[in-house]
Amino acid sequence: MLPIVSITLFLPLLGALLVMTLRKAPVQVVHTIGIVTSGLTLMGVVRMWSRGVNETGFAQLEQLDWMPSIGAAYRVGVDGISLPLVLLTALLFFVTFIYSAKVRKQSHAFVALMLLLETASIGVFTALDAILFYVFFEVSLVAMYFMIAEWGHEDRQRAALMFFIYTFLGSLPLLLAILGLYLGSDPHTFDMRDWISNPPLNGTAAMLALVAMLITFAVKTPVFPFHTWLPAAHVQAPAAGSVILAGVMLKFGTYGLVRFAFQMTPDAFRDAGIVILVFGVVAALYGAFAALAQSDLKRLVAYTSVNHMGYIIIGVAIAALATDPAIRATALDGSVLQMVSHGLVTGALFLLVGMLQDRANTREMDQFGGLLNVIPILGWSFVLAAFASLGLPGLAHFPAEFQIFLATLQVEPVAVIAILGIVITAGLYLRAIGKVFLGEPREKWTNMADLNVREVLALSPLLILIVAVGVVPAWVLDVIHKTTAALQF
Amino acid sequence: MNLIAAAILAPLSMMVLILLLRRFPAALALLGAAVGMFASLYLLADAFNGQGNQLILPGLPDMPLRLISTPLTALLSTLVAGVSSLVLVYAVGYMKKDSEKVRFFATMLLFVSAMQTLVLAGDWILLLAAWELIGLSSYLLIGFWYRRPGVTSAATRAFLVTRSADLGLYIAVFILIASAGSSDIATTLNTGGNAAIAAGFFLLVAAMGKSAQTPLHDWLQRAMAGPTPVSALLHSATLVAAGAILLIRVAPMLPPEVLLVIGLVGGVTTVVTGLIALGERDLKRLTAASTSSQYGLMLVAVGAGVPLAALLHLIAHATIKSGLFLGAGIFQHSRNSTVLVNLQGAGRDRPRVFFGYALAALALAGIPPMSGYFSKEAIIAASLASPNVLLLAPLALAGTLLTGAYMARALRILWHGDRKSHKIVGLYWMGAGLAGLVTLAVILGVAFPAIETLLNTRLPENTPTRFPPEIFGLGAAVGGLILGWFFTARRLLGPLLPWVQQGFTIAGGFDNLMVRPAFAIARSCERLERILYAGVFAVGRFGLDIGRAVRRNDEQGIDGLIFSLVRNTVELGSRARSLQSGLIHREMAITVVGTALILAALLLALLVY
Repeated sequence: MLPIVSITLFLPLLGALLVMTLRKAPVQVVHTIGIVTSGLTLMGVVRMWSRGVNETGFAQLEQLDWMPSIGAAYRVGVDGISLPLVLLTALLFFVTFIYSAKVRKQSHAFVALMLLLETASIGVFTALDAILFYVFFEVSLVAMYFMIAEWGHEDRQRAALMFFIYTFLGSLPLLLAILGLYLGSDPHTFDMRDWISNPPLNGTAAMLALVAMLITFAVKTPVFPFHTWLPAAHVQAPAAGSVILAGVMLKFGTYGLVRFAFQMTPDAFRDAGIVILVFGVVAALYGAFAALAQSDLKRLVAYTSVNHMGYIIIGVAIAALATDPAIRATALDGSVLQMVSHGLVTGALFLLVGMLQDRANTREMDQFGGLLNVIPILGWSFVLAAFASLGLPGLAHFPAEFQIFLATLQVEPVAVIAILGIVITAGLYLRAIGKVFLGEPREKWTNMADLNVREVLALSPLLILIVAVGVVPAWVLDVIHKTTAALQF
Repeated sequence: MNLIAAAILAPLSMMVLILLLRRFPAALALLGAAVGMFASLYLLADAFNGQGNQLILPGLPDMPLRLISTPLTALLSTLVAGVSSLVLVYAVGYMKKDSEKVRFFATMLLFVSAMQTLVLAGDWILLLAAWELIGLSSYLLIGFWYRRPGVTSAATRAFLVTRSADLGLYIAVFILIASAGSSDIATTLNTGGNAAIAAGFFLLVAAMGKSAQTPLHDWLQRAMAGPTPVSALLHSATLVAAGAILLIRVAPMLPPEVLLVIGLVGGVTTVVTGLIALGERDLKRLTAASTSSQYGLMLVAVGAGVPLAALLHLIAHATIKSGLFLGAGIFQHSRNSTVLVNLQGAGRDRPRVFFGYALAALALAGIPPMSGYFSKEAIIAASLASPNVLLLAPLALAGTLLTGAYMARALRILWHGDRKSHKIVGLYWMGAGLAGLVTLAVILGVAFPAIETLLNTRLPENTPTRFPPEIFGLGAAVGGLILGWFFTARRLLGPLLPWVQQGFTIAGGFDNLMVRPAFAIARSCERLERILYAGVFAVGRFGLDIGRAVRRNDEQGIDGLIFSLVRNTVELGSRARSLQSGLIHREMAITVVGTALILAALLLALLVY
């Protein structure tokens, strides 16, 4: 049988090498390589999807010896938690390559870096060896640093460095935790499957490892008060970078929260559940209110990410606190689906804001007005994505948030207060729609061009999937639920 | 194809077709409405034959989505289909001159299919979904003329107020699913105890938002910014009706405490918004206030324990109110205004339209033999028979009196005045829609016994009073009509008038109680953001100092392992430095290296010991 996971994982890297060797190739060829490679990767993931996941443990395992003396090996595979995220990653990279085909500044380096980032991102979700995971985790960080520093907006270097320092320092505690888990395992191994089926630490050691992991993933997710890098990075990042940063890389934090913190130190996680829940509730509400105060459209979307990621934290904490396996599965289903939904919706929103900025060179909401009439395709796409983001039924966020809140009410009813977030996000998105798209068109924008074919092609897969996940969530939830229903905790 | 699916998919598929073709919007909309109407009628006929129908769709794990056709849901589906079809017929004329018919008819069809989903939903998730989707449709329709000033804020307000109240539905649904272990509505109705009380109150909150009950009544009047057919649909069988429909459906579960509060909310609303209607200076806003008032009466009926009376009034009101709006729309086109002063005499210009309008007005006031008479009598009888008669009956009677008064006032203003209307286009289509609805409003009372048979429930027969309740109800209605016809609003309301005309705004209303605090919190979050941001940079500077110290003192003593660990970082730092020239940047790069060194040292210590 073909090692589909590994092929999919390293295809983008091959593409990156190809781009680097073809230094003289014209820009169009380079972008075509990027689009084709990410398209093939997406097909590989679709093949993985059709192979499916197992009832218990991981499926589609592929492994090679690497450093047998210390128990590290090349091990990859997927389960119901990681497979949807792999699909999301491949899809977002594919549409980002289509959208970015306009990039002229050092396009060789751009495409190569993006492809490297794609391999790293898929690697984070498929790695089943902690060392491998950490390598991918760090490589993605470096790639994103250069993405912001090189192709970002005016104040890009400062933002890139802040992003780097924050998340780099943030990831060091994870390394400590990994070493702790390694030392606690018997025999010593970096095999994540062993750590999950047989958590190596307990007592204070487990709690220390958990705290270390929580710091890393709280920075990455990000959770209040570790989130300040996020708006700064988003404002300066190019649209392509923002899509990947919000759509894919924020999921590293929540995926790690589930895969590492939740699954590898379960008892400590349960003990700390209430604290984590409080952080989630605060993040959800704080993100919503902070977004309400923004006048820059991109910052607004960035802060709603803090809000949406807060719901995921709540869901995972509730899963840990729940005693009924059915409620735990509901909370985790919602959390994982929320990761997918957020990737689709926020990816679409950042693309749209990027497209608007390409046209107007500003993102200040007060500068716009009446654009729905001038650029109807962009306008209605934004309306659709915004309503998805505020949790409208029939669109991607609703089933996820519904499950999270349903489980929350049954376990910790007070925490349902976070549901206020859906009214605040409704308010801020309607305000944004009103300011930017409704009313009488301003004179200076009346000649603005609507979306071109490339932009429509980049956007439509996301919009279609937003509706598809919203109307028939079962096609994703069936995969997720297979794993969460059988989860040992 | 399953008939339940047809009732929903007929309008929905025509919406898609309209959006794809971008032509023949009116014809396709009417086709979609007609097919949906046939599907609903079939469901109703099946219900009369004792046949139900069910459709189960994949939803969330262990919680499938259900559509069910029971006598109640089939009846409501027919009502939605009937009223929306006639309103669409009217809209063909009303929108004749508008350039964006594609968007208008597509959104109207979305509205209709979302409402059909709501009434036919058999599980809470689908009901909640439809509940929010009708909110979206009404946002799009109220904001239809989004280029006009004030329209956007009206649409936004309608969506936000109702969505705030929708949180009540979310929480109620969570409580019900949690305690029943199923999302099936019929199963959850067996809930009792504290769960039923809590769920009941949260459901009431949701219904108050949608049905524009005091103190959440303000958004509905502002929603008049949309086209008139939208108002006709919104107020009769769709958005506003959803609140009352919800309470009617869950009525078997509601404990007495909740019923009493529902009755009081409804009673207070019917009086408060009745007074607002009486003092209103705009015909459409008057009609809107009257909607809140009539839904208040329905809540009184639910609170009195006779949801059937509420249902009958819902049906009667749907036809009457859409008729009133359609009439108002014709007068609006005749005078290019909805302000009552400008409409003086508009009725005399178009006597046939005025005749239809007057019939609907009398039906709403509760004059026999029209439909409103029967339903209103049922409500008053229910309030008189209720254990809380002293609380509910006076409010219900006051509401009835006010209904007569504000309708007679509108008739008086429309009839007296100069004749100066101009010719309008599309009058035949508008007239046809109006005629259909007024006919229904007049004769539907005949069908009420059949509805009682269909639902297998009867209105209570026994009356505890010495006089038959008809005397109270009819007396109030006629008294109200006389007051409204002979006295001006200023005479009737006296010193209350200014307050009434502000819409009884208490403490600044929604703006002061919700919007301002939200923005205040948002601003303090933003301030905190700046502090945090500055703090991070301060920590960076602090790290920089330590980093320098570490570099100076410890570089020599640390072995190669650490260097291999930090080499990448150093490289990165230097590359970062080469990327730009700013001083801050270089210093921060050093910070990374420095701090990385410290952490690496810690790490090494951990490994060794």
